[in-house]
Amino acid sequence: MLRVRRLSLRYPNGKLALADFDLTVRAGEFAIVLGGNGSGKTTLLRCIVRTLNPTAGEVWVSETELTRLEGDKLRRARLELAMISQHASLVKRRSVLANVATGSLGRHYSLRTDLGGFPQEELVAAQSCLGEVGLAELSGQRAGTLSGGQAQRVSIARALAQRPRVLLADEPVASLDPEAAEEIMRLLRRLAVEGNLAVLCVLHQIDLAYSYADRIVGVRDGRKIFDEPPAELPREVVRHLYVDRAA
Amino acid sequence: MTAETETGSPIAAVARGWAAPAAHALRIVLILVGILVVAQSFWMVQARPQDLVTGIFGMADFLRRATPPDFSRLDAAIWPTLETVDIAIFGTIMGVIMAVPLALMAAANVTPARWVYFVARGIIGFARAVPDLVWALLFVTAVGLGPFPGGLALAVHSIGMLGRLFAETIEQMDMAPVDALRLTGARHVQIFTHAIVPTLLPSFLGISLYRLDENIRSSLVLGFVGAGGIGFQLLTYMNLFDYRKVSLYLIITFVLVLGAERVSAILRAKLA
Repeated sequence: MLRVRRLSLRYPNGKLALADFDLTVRAGEFAIVLGGNGSGKTTLLRCIVRTLNPTAGEVWVSETELTRLEGDKLRRARLELAMISQHASLVKRRSVLANVATGSLGRHYSLRTDLGGFPQEELVAAQSCLGEVGLAELSGQRAGTLSGGQAQRVSIARALAQRPRVLLADEPVASLDPEAAEEIMRLLRRLAVEGNLAVLCVLHQIDLAYSYADRIVGVRDGRKIFDEPPAELPREVVRHLYVDRAA
Repeated sequence: MTAETETGSPIAAVARGWAAPAAHALRIVLILVGILVVAQSFWMVQARPQDLVTGIFGMADFLRRATPPDFSRLDAAIWPTLETVDIAIFGTIMGVIMAVPLALMAAANVTPARWVYFVARGIIGFARAVPDLVWALLFVTAVGLGPFPGGLALAVHSIGMLGRLFAETIEQMDMAPVDALRLTGARHVQIFTHAIVPTLLPSFLGISLYRLDENIRSSLVLGFVGAGGIGFQLLTYMNLFDYRKVSLYLIITFVLVLGAERVSAILRAKLA
């Protein structure tokens, strides 16, 4: 599970991008973060994976605290965290299966993987990850030939090949058509429930959040405004996240 | 040179657009300058149509003396033909080997330092700016007659052509998979072999095959400056007025150039 405690990021110019953020996502739970542009929701994810360095606070993944780790220790602790983003970011010239298997590279530092190969058992595992996202039959195809929705599912399979406990998703459906978007959301929800993953997903679509989330977290100006199950959260409150931002 | 000072910059021309007569006069001057440039070029090359007319008889005479091609010497032509192709292969491979590291330094997104970028760009630009024939002349002076200076000349010129295209390919590379792999915990070597190499390799191979095709064409004429191959034979038989052997080598050249072009195109199509 993922636990964020009093996480803050202050940029050198004094702007507070993230302020005392508290958040817990349990294993098997699907949490969705909503907020306007520049509200700090992507910053939150980037501070968790440490592509940005928070200035204060703690990030716990299972029993490990990430913010104070550096170098190899950080890298090893981060294996528990998988990230998918708006774009699938696949290597287009390689096969779908190879793309999925690259998710396992962090566990295998060997001459074979250095030379572009994979351990046999990871290819078998990658094939079953592809099955998880429903694309087992496409494993031999080149990644460049996939549709946007398929590519995003392959990138989720790659994240699964990493065998994470926590799955972070940064606007995973932003460049997909509505049907493909629903499919990705269903998949993420299923992975949370069946795979017992803690899934934290940043989103722009309020309707999708209501349909799929166990909890909706509202962010504005780097602060958590609400954190409720959809059933207990009036739409009016959510909409308020996006209005009179200029004031 | 006068063309630039008299017409002024395009900005000035547009700004003066409201003064229609001035723009009109400018256009006339521009046309006159254009005519002048063309006329002086005809004068400089001493173009005389009447020579072309008498030249037809010279060409006819050459063709008469060149036919039929001397196919009895085909076996003797195999060696120089092979030499021509091998000069091109050597030049391309050496060019690729040296162009890849240079391109990595000359690509703005992966260069280790700003000054390295400029030095690498400078080397690539210089290698490209000097024509391969001139490189061949220099290398013939340095290492003597034969195929080796030809191969060196093509290698150096190829560095210039390949280096630029490789660097541009690297600069246009999609970096998202690289960032994604870094987050999965892959180490630098793995990111290089699993994301960067598979992305770049097909493009690099395609560019190199195209270069090989170009180099075979260049290699044909390198012999004129003493750098071996078919060009050297052509020049020799031309000087001996042995036109039937000249025509044999011209046919070989034709087949070789078209063949290389086709093979290169087919292989590149397979890569795409």
